[in-house]
Amino acid sequence: MLGDIGTLVLQGTMISAVYALIAIGFTMIFGVGGTLNLAHGALIMGGAYVFALLSREIHAAVAFPVTIAVIALLSWGLYQVLVRWVEENVVITFLATVVVAIATTEFVLYQFGSSPIGMTLISGAVNLEPYGINARTRYVQFVGFVISWIAIGLLWYYVTHTDDGRSVLAASMSERGAQLTGVDLHAVRSKTWLIAGALAGTAGVILGSTGGATPLMWLNPLALAFIIVVIGGIGSIKGSVIAAYVIGFLEQFTVTFIGHGFRGILSLVVLVVFLLYMPQGLYGREFAHD
Amino acid sequence: MISTILLLGTVLATVTRRLGNVAGTVRREVLLPIGQALERLLAPIDRALEPAANAYNRSLGPYFGTMTGLQFALILVSVVALLTAGVWAPMVGPLVGGGLLRTLALASIWAIFAMSWDIQSGYTGYISFGHSVLSGAAGYTTALLIVHVDPGLSIWVTASVSVLAALVIGLLIALPTLRLEGPYFSLITFVAVLLFYRLTTAFSSLGGIPGFGQPDVFTWDPVMRYYYMAIPMLLIALGLTFMARSNLGMILVAIRENESAVSAAGINPTKFKIWSFALSSIPMGIGGVLLVGFTGNVDPETFVIVDNSIEMIAMAVIGGMSSILGPLGGAFLFEFLNHQLFHSYSTPVRYLFLWGLVLLVLVFARDGLFRMIWHRLGAVRGESE
Repeated sequence: MLGDIGTLVLQGTMISAVYALIAIGFTMIFGVGGTLNLAHGALIMGGAYVFALLSREIHAAVAFPVTIAVIALLSWGLYQVLVRWVEENVVITFLATVVVAIATTEFVLYQFGSSPIGMTLISGAVNLEPYGINARTRYVQFVGFVISWIAIGLLWYYVTHTDDGRSVLAASMSERGAQLTGVDLHAVRSKTWLIAGALAGTAGVILGSTGGATPLMWLNPLALAFIIVVIGGIGSIKGSVIAAYVIGFLEQFTVTFIGHGFRGILSLVVLVVFLLYMPQGLYGREFAHD
Repeated sequence: MISTILLLGTVLATVTRRLGNVAGTVRREVLLPIGQALERLLAPIDRALEPAANAYNRSLGPYFGTMTGLQFALILVSVVALLTAGVWAPMVGPLVGGGLLRTLALASIWAIFAMSWDIQSGYTGYISFGHSVLSGAAGYTTALLIVHVDPGLSIWVTASVSVLAALVIGLLIALPTLRLEGPYFSLITFVAVLLFYRLTTAFSSLGGIPGFGQPDVFTWDPVMRYYYMAIPMLLIALGLTFMARSNLGMILVAIRENESAVSAAGINPTKFKIWSFALSSIPMGIGGVLLVGFTGNVDPETFVIVDNSIEMIAMAVIGGMSSILGPLGGAFLFEFLNHQLFHSYSTPVRYLFLWGLVLLVLVFARDGLFRMIWHRLGAVRGESE
C-alpha cells in the first residue's frame, strides 16, 4: 500500500511534467490566436519520430536540441503555409488542423508501420526497491521532469520579463488592445507557434523515450491536454501547470488503484464538473472584449 | 538537416507568395473561359427544363427549397441513378475496379452519418467530434440485445431499441455540453469518443477489441443489400432536407452566425441546439443499425474509433457543410475514391490522398465541391440566388 503510494507520487510527478508541456503549448496557441490546434498532436508524434531517426546517427545529446528545432520550425511552417490563410474562420481552422493531424498519422503509418519504434533520451534505470517503491524508474523520467521545469521556467521568464514575451501575453488578453500599443499580431502568432512547436517536440521526445514512438501516441496525451487546459483556464500558463499535476496524479491514481481500463474516466468527470460549475477554469479570466 | 529545413522554409515562403499570383492567372486564363463555354452549352437545357422545375417549385418548393431547371435535373438524375443502381452498377462496376454495389451500399450508410453530422454541426457551427459514439451506441445495443436477450429478436425490436439508445446517449452528451459555447463542445465530444472506445475495451462484457460476431447481416445478395442501405438513406435525406429548410433550420443557422442575436430575439439557443442534437442522433442510430446489417460484426474498429467521426466530417466538408445534400454527395465521392479509384493502393496511401483532398477543399473551396457545383448550376443563365 505504502509502496503503491510511493509509486503513485513518483510516476504522477513524472508524467504530469510532460502533460504540462503539451498543455502549455496548446493553451498558448488558443489564447493568442483563438485557434484550437489539433495538429499539436501530430507535432508531438513528429518529435518522437524525428528523434528516433536522428539518434540512430548522432549522439542523443545533439539529437535532442536538433529535434526541438525541427519541430518548432515545422510548427511555424504549419502556421505560415496553412493556418494563417484560414484563421479568420475558427471552424475551418479547427477542421484543417484535425485533418493535418490525421494525415500525418497516415503518413507515419505508411512510412514506419504501426509497430513502436524504440528510442531513448538516456538509458538506464534506478532501482527503488530498497526504498519500498516497486517501480524501476528510468533516468529518462527524471530527465524529462527536469527538462519540463527548465522549459516552463524559461517560458515564464520570457513571457513576464521580456518585451517580446509581454507582447505575447498582451495579445492573449486583448487583441485590439495589443494592436493599439503597437504589437504586430502576425509576428506574435508566428512566435507562439514556434514556441508551442518547441514544447511539443520536447514532450514528444520524452513520451517516446518512455513508451516508444507509435503513430497514435499523441491521441491520449492530447485529449488530456484538452482537459488540462479547460481546468486550468484557457490561456493561463500557471493554470495549465497546476491542472497538469492534478490530472496527471488523477490518471496515475486510476491506473494504480482502479485499473488500466478506467484511465481517463475520472478526469472526464472532473472536466464535466468544471465545465458546469467553473467554466472559466482555475486561473482563467474573462476575455477582454474587443 | 537544418540547412535543408531552412532552405525548405525559404522555398515555401516564396512559393506561397507566388502561388497567389499563379492562382489568379489560372482563374482568369483557364477557368473563366471554360466556365463561360459550359454556361453557353447548359443555358438552353436549363431553359428547357424550367417548366418542370417551376411545377415542382410551386408544389413542393416551399418545403424543400426552390430550384432552377438544371438543379432540378441534377436531383432527378441522381435519385433515378441511385434507385436503378441495382441494374447498372454490376455492368459498370468492372470498369472501376469491381464491387461497385458494395461501395455504393457503404457510401449510403456513410451518407446517413455525414448528413446527420451536418444537421447538428454544419448548421449550428458546434463541431462534434463524437458522432461515432451515437452510431456505436446503436450498434452495440443491437449486438447486446442479440447476445444477451434473445438471438431470435425481430429486427424491428432491436432496431427501434438501438435508435432509442442512440438518442439517449446523444442527449446524455448534449445536455451538459451544449450549454457551453464554442470550442468546449468540440473538446468534450472528442474526449467522449476516446472514453467510449476505452469502455469497450475495459469491460469484457462489451466484447473488447474483437467485438461481437453474432449479429447477422441483412442479406448476402449484393443488390438487395444495396437497397436495404440506399432507401433508408434517401428517406433520411428527404426528412433532413425538410427540417433544414424549415424554420428550425433557419434558427440553427442563426445560432451559428450570431448566438446572442438569437437570444435577443427571445429564442432560447440551448433548447434548439439540444433539438438539433436529438435530430442528429436518430438518423445516426438508424445508420448504426444499418452498419451492423452490413458488416455483421460490432467492434470498436468499425464503430467507435475517432477516425470514424473525422471521416464523417471529411465527407461533409468535401460536399459542403450545412446543405444536407452536399454531405450526401461528399460521402459518395469519398467512398468512391476510397474503394474504387484508389483501391489498388494500400490503406495509408489512400487516406493520405483523401485527407489531402479534404485539406485542399477546406482551404480553396470552403463551401464544398457539391455546393459550389450547385450554385454554379443555379447561376448558369446569369441570375444568381
